[in-house]
Amino acid sequence: MTTLDQKPARAEGRKDPWSQMLEKVGKNQDRQAYHALFEHFGPQIKYYAMANGLASHAEELVQEVFVSIWRRSCLYDWRKAAASTWIFTIARNQRIDMLRKMKRTSAEMPVETEDLWQIPGENDDEPVTSLHRLMSERRVRESLSHLPEEQITVIAKVYMESKSHQMVADELNIPLGTVKSRVRLALNKLKVILQDQNV
Amino acid sequence: MTRHHPDTLTLMEYSAGNLSEPHALCIRLHLDQCPHCRSRVDTLDSLGAVMMESQPQVGVSSDMFDSILSRIDSEPDMTEKYIDAQAKRLSPLQKLLGDNLDDLPWKRQLGDVSVLDISERFPGQNEQVVLQKLAAGGKAPAHTHRGDETTIVLQGAFADQKGVFNQWDFVVLNQEDEHKPVAVGCEDCITLSVLSAPVKLTGTFTRLLNPFIR
Repeated sequence: MTTLDQKPARAEGRKDPWSQMLEKVGKNQDRQAYHALFEHFGPQIKYYAMANGLASHAEELVQEVFVSIWRRSCLYDWRKAAASTWIFTIARNQRIDMLRKMKRTSAEMPVETEDLWQIPGENDDEPVTSLHRLMSERRVRESLSHLPEEQITVIAKVYMESKSHQMVADELNIPLGTVKSRVRLALNKLKVILQDQNV
Repeated sequence: MTRHHPDTLTLMEYSAGNLSEPHALCIRLHLDQCPHCRSRVDTLDSLGAVMMESQPQVGVSSDMFDSILSRIDSEPDMTEKYIDAQAKRLSPLQKLLGDNLDDLPWKRQLGDVSVLDISERFPGQNEQVVLQKLAAGGKAPAHTHRGDETTIVLQGAFADQKGVFNQWDFVVLNQEDEHKPVAVGCEDCITLSVLSAPVKLTGTFTRLLNPFIR
């Protein structure tokens, strides 16, 4: 666990400490910053792998994620995503990639994982909507602490265990409609869903 | 500007990485053209990050960081390769189908409708992945759908009783949606569909194997 005093000073306003470190890795191949990121995110990613049923490959996944972070850190732009969001998407993609490679027969896949699931800020030339993106993570973190446990449980199963809504319903022994309404209620509070109206 | 979007629950399953490859492709193609949904996915990706951070953490082996370092030291500097690859990156659609959709080996099904099954481009997936082409101004016979059918419009536009579906619009149809699509505008309408089960014809064409359909 990383304690607060290990984090760099919040000199740069909205840029959170992890994003600052990731930027140092990208710009200067700063190994100290890279190590701090590893200490903070490594254990999270290991749990993510285990929750996803990759227990025997959990450390391998952590390694792959960190090698990928190193290689592509030059593309990281803090205005496009907070470091934690960027790292989550890399972990997600490496997890998908690992499963695809395990299942892969001799047939080559014409479409790569990254053609299907993008890392935020890459291959993305829209004008920077930094404020929105940075706010979104802060807002999500704050709103999440106010959600009822039953909603968090459902979201955790979707994100951490890669379960479909149907699988979550079966596991918790509740109707599919209940799962969906819990997700909708949660996303509503997180303001993801509001914009669904009138589109 | 697209007007028909994936629903938030589907975007969440995308963000969590739980969709099949063909379904993820439909979402990705839509996201490329829809800032509105992209911004929803940004928020959902943040939700993933915050979920990950709020879960238990598991200690990693003490020597792992060193082995990561030796791995990155043994590799040549990848920075340029990444920037380069990024610049040259083809869109997933180009990778999959080349530059010209008209040049594909379309199979004429009936009247105005042609199809091309590209399921084999997604090995190991259970869904059927089909391109469908409705000639400009053409009509497809009435049909319904047995399972869920996810469709994205790649070119042109089609209309049915629910509205007009333009390029990059996203729509999911199921057994309750009987429709009779018509290609509108002066271009052929080409769609990419991911089908969980074959469609059921409802009109007079019941004996024909079909597409805009299937």
